[in-house]
Amino acid sequence: MSSHDDKRSPVPAFHLDGVSKSYPGVHALRDVTLEGYPGEVLAICGANGAGKSTMARLLAGQETPTSGSVRIGSHGQIRKPADAEAAGVLLMHQEPLVIEDFTVEENVWLTSLSSADGVKAWGTVRRDRGARTREALDAVGLSDLDPRTPVRSLGPGPRQMLALSRTSVNHHKVLLLDETTASTTEEHFRDVLELVDRERAAGVCVVFVSHRMPEVFAMADRIAVLRNGQLVDVVRTADTDPDEILTMMIGEAVSALEPFDMKPDPAADPILEVRGLSSGSAHDIDLDVRPGEIVGIYGLVGSGRSSIARSISGHQDRRTGTVRVRGRPIPSGSPRRALEKGIAYLSEDRRREGFVPAFTNALNLTLATPGQDSRWGVINRRAEKARVATLLKRYQVKGGAETMTRSLSGGNQQKVCIAKWLEATPEVMVLDEPTKGIDVRARLNIYEIVRDLATGGKGVVVVTSEAEEALKLCSRILVLRDGAVVGTYDPLTSTTDDLIRASLGGDIS
Amino acid sequence: MTDTVTIPTPDVRADRWAAIGRWAKEQYPLYILIVLLIVAGLTSDAFFTPRNLANLILQTSVIGIVTLAQFLIVLTGGIDISVGSVLGLSGVLAAGLLSGSNVIMAIAIAVAVGAAIGAINGYLVAFRGLEPFIVTLGMLALARGLVYAYTEGSPVRPEAADFRGIATATVAGIPVIGILWLALALVVGFITRRTVLGRRIYAVGSSKEAAHASGIPVRSTLLVTYIMAGVLIGFAGFLLASRVGAGTPTAGTLYELDAIAAVVIGGTALSGGRGRVFGAVVGTLIFGVITNLLVLLNVSTFLQDAFRGALILIAILLTTFQFSRRRARPTIS
Repeated sequence: MSSHDDKRSPVPAFHLDGVSKSYPGVHALRDVTLEGYPGEVLAICGANGAGKSTMARLLAGQETPTSGSVRIGSHGQIRKPADAEAAGVLLMHQEPLVIEDFTVEENVWLTSLSSADGVKAWGTVRRDRGARTREALDAVGLSDLDPRTPVRSLGPGPRQMLALSRTSVNHHKVLLLDETTASTTEEHFRDVLELVDRERAAGVCVVFVSHRMPEVFAMADRIAVLRNGQLVDVVRTADTDPDEILTMMIGEAVSALEPFDMKPDPAADPILEVRGLSSGSAHDIDLDVRPGEIVGIYGLVGSGRSSIARSISGHQDRRTGTVRVRGRPIPSGSPRRALEKGIAYLSEDRRREGFVPAFTNALNLTLATPGQDSRWGVINRRAEKARVATLLKRYQVKGGAETMTRSLSGGNQQKVCIAKWLEATPEVMVLDEPTKGIDVRARLNIYEIVRDLATGGKGVVVVTSEAEEALKLCSRILVLRDGAVVGTYDPLTSTTDDLIRASLGGDIS
Repeated sequence: MTDTVTIPTPDVRADRWAAIGRWAKEQYPLYILIVLLIVAGLTSDAFFTPRNLANLILQTSVIGIVTLAQFLIVLTGGIDISVGSVLGLSGVLAAGLLSGSNVIMAIAIAVAVGAAIGAINGYLVAFRGLEPFIVTLGMLALARGLVYAYTEGSPVRPEAADFRGIATATVAGIPVIGILWLALALVVGFITRRTVLGRRIYAVGSSKEAAHASGIPVRSTLLVTYIMAGVLIGFAGFLLASRVGAGTPTAGTLYELDAIAAVVIGGTALSGGRGRVFGAVVGTLIFGVITNLLVLLNVSTFLQDAFRGALILIAILLTTFQFSRRRARPTIS
């Protein structure tokens, strides 16, 4: 990795010179000077709100700096997206930029629409496009995807990889990956890694915005750390370790989370009983959760992990099987009735299902339980206000009751979503990827909330695609493969390696 | 959590002022109305006379109640273009069934017709998942066709002598029909802002997925909303027939356009989930004032439509300024 540093070209691929960016009331970036070089991978790390995304947007010309200058290669100042594009900047967003109604192939070639390359009104599709599409898809691990599939049918992981496949049909000098891996899962990790290596070998400057340490350390040559809009330091990956970077990111040392060692009473009756459940890609699932137990469900995308979570909580129909909470059967396919019977589901898709976009924190916090402060359907606003204030405080949500939930960071949004459910006092809480796209500190907050639930005698099911999260958070882990449980693991005696091997089936090296 | 939230008084006062400031910033339809009233006062001596103002209220109240119905539907993210036809149908049936001999029965018939059609629209939208536009487009033609079939093209005169009573009565010079409009607006405001049902309507309008996932009964909320809107439209149909003194076959024609425009000018998002009943009332008044003024100024009827059209465009243009400024505010990521 260090050999790249030696071959570093003296001409920077991009140059930020004393860049500041402020919005009314917020200094997103303060006097940042940073250079990136061709053929290197530069990671930008920082907690949520540190200014990472602002920096990416400045480089892509989507924002203009309040002061200072942004230059890409020899192109000079970047003032608008067209400048950045002409200078060879390709930005990959946190949410994959795909058009749902287009096919996979059309999405691969989407960016060539703006340059009218082969898609002029009078132009025809290039002959070799089919073959190049195939290559582009193969390169990101989507080799079994038919280019004619509509994108609507794809999950978030494949969508992001599809967006990334554009790197191989595009000409660019700077590749910005803005939290691109937030919605991909571990099995695509290697594809992303290979892609980044290819780009680096081709002399592209890859800017990788992330707060996931394993990825940063696997990919980056240098790491730039931002905190509160200021550049704390730029260090060579070889000279540092994740702890040091985390400390720089949040300005204090993080206490490592102890493994969850509370063991539920083995004699206690299970609070959740699932028998012979088949739904989606999951089949014949048996699952017991006892009070005080956090059961992890770990598996790859398509292993059926979300199907289990959604079908036991009424969000997806069951083909066969029964689900009981404290002996009471949960009907299939109605989130409302499942909630009444004591089971709540925190959706993996926070933006779509987690909260109502037009609602304030107050309205979203009481969304599942508007009746709590009402009589005859009329809401007592004073009581509701008091309840909301308590909730904001208890779950440490940034922003007040009247703040729009959609304007919060992912971590705070997630706290609102969790609080909404806990207000309904479910017996069993099912959390699907509870820390997806959430920074370190909020993640710890959420782990604490989940553990408090278990300590309080509730049953918790956590679906996760991160082996490390499963080991840290759960008291028992089920590994899924192809829709079936292939093993049960004790987090105190297992390693991430065990889980990943089991989920892939057989040996991997 | 035993600690209670104690906030010092000055903060409360500052909060209140900030809240008023925020509110004032969003009241552009109110400002349009005020400007219109000033222009009206300056250009026409006849405008601010008690007789003209009473006349204005009389003219706007029926469409005002229809706009309330439209407001409810638009809040859920739908649209109802059958309001004018349904109003016409409930009007002629109220005047014609039982020969229009009893006012109470006439009201009951009008409301029942409106509610029944609302239930049909609501069932098709909520339980069959059809597009509100297409459902109500069909209902528009169906209801108007029934009106013509029933009336054979000529007005239906009710027998009851007091059929016009409600529409002509006044309290302290204010038409009762206007007071009814205000009262219904308050009821709709109360339902939308203060009740669990209202909360559900907003949630469903903003995101059906999030509402469903949060255990809100999306379908029944939609159905109830369409029925409520139908009740309002039916009642408005009776009021119009009462004002005219007969069920006319063309009653309510093109009301859907005015109602939708008034709702949008009042700041309700056509995408659903956002808007206030106050805006819908102000939106109706803007239309009423400009129509009234154009008549007073002897503007030709053909040009009147052009003025109203231009007003719609200007008003919705203003909403884009308002919303884009809010959108430009940074999100703290």
